[in-house]
Amino acid sequence: MDALLIDKHVKYIQSLGENTDDLMYHLTAHLRLNAIYWGLTALFIMGHPEALVKEDVIAFVMSCWDDDEGAFGAHPGHDAHVLPTLSSIQILVMYDEVERADKERLVSYLAARQNPSGSFSGDRWGETDTRFSYITLQALELLGRLDAIDKEKAVAHIRRCKNYDGGFGATEGAESHSGQVFVCTAALTILDRLDEIDQPNLAWWLAERQLPNGGLNGRPEKLEDVCYSFWVLSALSILHKLKWIDSDALIRFILSAQDPDGGGIADRPGDMVDVFHTVFGLCGLSLLGHPDVREINPIYCLPAEIAKKRGLHMNYQVLGKDEA
Amino acid sequence: MSHGVKRARESADVVAARREKERSKLNAYLELTDDVLARKRASAFTQESFDLTTKLLGLNPELYSIWNYRRLILLNGLFPNLSPEGIFTLLQSELNFTTGALKVHPKVYWIWNHRRWCLANVPPGPDGAPVEKSWKRQMWTRELFIDERMLEADARNFHAWNYRRNILASDPGLRTLQDELTYTKKKIEASFSNFSAWHQRSKVYTALWEEGSSAEDVRKVKDTEFEFVQQALYTDPGDQSAWLYHRWLIGNGEDLPVLKREIAAIEELLSVEPDSKWCLETLVHYKRLLTSRSHMDETELAALKKETNVMLEKLQGIDPKRRIRYQELGM
Ligand SMILES: [Zn+2]
Repeated sequence: MDALLIDKHVKYIQSLGENTDDLMYHLTAHLRLNAIYWGLTALFIMGHPEALVKEDVIAFVMSCWDDDEGAFGAHPGHDAHVLPTLSSIQILVMYDEVERADKERLVSYLAARQNPSGSFSGDRWGETDTRFSYITLQALELLGRLDAIDKEKAVAHIRRCKNYDGGFGATEGAESHSGQVFVCTAALTILDRLDEIDQPNLAWWLAERQLPNGGLNGRPEKLEDVCYSFWVLSALSILHKLKWIDSDALIRFILSAQDPDGGGIADRPGDMVDVFHTVFGLCGLSLLGHPDVREINPIYCLPAEIAKKRGLHMNYQVLGKDEA
Repeated sequence: MSHGVKRARESADVVAARREKERSKLNAYLELTDDVLARKRASAFTQESFDLTTKLLGLNPELYSIWNYRRLILLNGLFPNLSPEGIFTLLQSELNFTTGALKVHPKVYWIWNHRRWCLANVPPGPDGAPVEKSWKRQMWTRELFIDERMLEADARNFHAWNYRRNILASDPGLRTLQDELTYTKKKIEASFSNFSAWHQRSKVYTALWEEGSSAEDVRKVKDTEFEFVQQALYTDPGDQSAWLYHRWLIGNGEDLPVLKREIAAIEELLSVEPDSKWCLETLVHYKRLLTSRSHMDETELAALKKETNVMLEKLQGIDPKRRIRYQELGM
C-alpha cells in the first residue's frame, strides 16, 4: 500500500459519532473530548475541517464544562481534569472560538495544578506526571497566561525526571519513554528552555527507536507502534534531527497500517484502527513531508497555520521544507 | 486507543446481529451510568451508591469520575461511622477490588491511582504497635508482593515499576537498597533485554552512592557491574539494554583507566563479532570521550579521528537506517 487514503480517513472520522448503538462507543466515553480533538486535528491536516459540524462540536465541548471546578471533564457529568481541558481549549483554538470559554476560571484551575515541588497534578486528586506539566503549560500558553505558574520550578521538576540516556520519565526515577520524551521536550520548548536537554544523547536515543521494519518503538527492546511515529518524531523535529532515522521506511510502515476498506490507521498492519492512531500516523507523515498532509506543529500537535496565526513557538523541523 | 487487536471485517448483517445481542447489555450499562452520575450530582454518599460504583467500575475501570465519586463516598459516607480498625478493614477490601481490576487491566492509570490513595489513607495503628506490626507496614508489604506478581506477568509494565518505586519511597524500612539490587539482578538474569530492570538498578546504585560511599567503594562496585554487564553483551551483542547500562557505568569517562580497559574489552568482542553495530557505535562514543579526557597531541588526535571515521563508515553500511547520523558524526 503506498497511497494515503485521505477520503477513506475523512469518512472514517465522520462515522465515529454514528456508532451510538455500539457498546464500545459508550465504553470510551472517558476519552470523548480527546477523541474529538484527535479527529478534528486529523481533519484539519487532511484539509477537511468542514467534515465535522462546527456548532455541534462546540456545543458538545461546552456541555462538558464542570462548573463546580471550573474546567472541562471528558463527557457531560464527568469531573474536571487537565486532559479533557487541554483538548477542549485546543478544539476552541482550532475553531478560533476560545473566547467562548471562561478563561479566568480555566486559568485559576490550571495554575492550581502546580505543586510546591514544581510538578503538576492531573486534577485535585493529585496524580503527578510530566504529561500534566506539558498539558498545563500548553493550555496556559494557548490562553496567553503562562505567567500564572512558577516557570523556574516547572523546569526544575522536568530536570529531575531526566535520565542518563537523555530521555525523560513520568516521574522522578521513572524509565525514559518516548511519550514522556515528547511531553518534556515540548514543555521545555514552551518554556524556552531547550538548553536543559542533553541534545546529542537524546537524539541518539530517539534514533535508536526505529526497528528493522521501519516502525518506531517507545522504549528499548519493545515492539513498534504507529503512535510512536508522533511521540518520537515530534521530539526529533524539535531537535532538528529528523534525518537521523530512515523516513522512507517509516512512511511505508505508517501507510501499511491503514485500513484500505473502512479507513483509519491502526497501531500495526492488520490491526483494528482507531482515531488515536489515525491522527498520530497522519502527524508522523506530516513531519516527514508527505505531500498530501498539511503541516502539523509538533510542539502543540496543532495545525501549523493556526499556531502561526496565534504567535506560538514555531521552531521545529519538517522534512522537505526549507531544508538544504 | 486499541493496541494489538486484530482487524476483523464485519458485514453489515454481522454488525446488526452483534448490536442486537449487545442491546440489553448496552441498555443496562447506560442505565447504571446515568443512575450513578445522578447520585454523584446529588452527593449521595450511601452504601448503596458505593455498591453501584463497584458494579460500574467492574464494567468500565476507565471511568475516572466514578473512582473520584467512590473516594468521596468513602471519605464522607463510610469512614465517619467506622473505627480506625474498621477503616483499615474497608481499605483492605478496597485493595482486593482493585487487584481484581488490575489483573484484567494492568495499564489503566486510574486503578493504580486508587491504590495509592488507599495506602495514603491507612490510619495509624493498631494502638501501640511497633512499626513492623503497623497497619501501614502490613499494607505496603502486601503491595510489594502484588507488584511483584504484576512484574512477573509483564516485566516491562512501567506502571508496575513506577508503583514499585512509590512503595519503596513510602516505606523505606520495607526493603534495603541491597534487597532491591538483589531483586533487579534476578529480573535481569531472567531476561537481559529487560531494560526496565537495568534502569532500576542504575537508580538504586545512585541512591546508595548518594548515601555516602568512598570513591574506592564505588569503583569496586562498578568493576563487578562491568563483569555482570559483559555477560549480557556476550550473550546478545545486539541487545541495546545492556549497552545502555554500560554507558551509564562509564558516564563521562571520568575514570580514564576504566575507560581504556572497557574500550579494550569491547574491541575484543568486536574481533569475535566484526559486524556488531553496538560494538562499533559504543567504541566511537568512548573513543571520543577519550579525546576529551586525555591530553593527546596532534598526531594522536588525527589517528583517533581516522579510526573512528573508519568505524562510522562501516556503521553506515551495516545500519543504513541511521546512515545520516553516522555521516554527521564523521564530519
Ligand atoms: Zn499505540
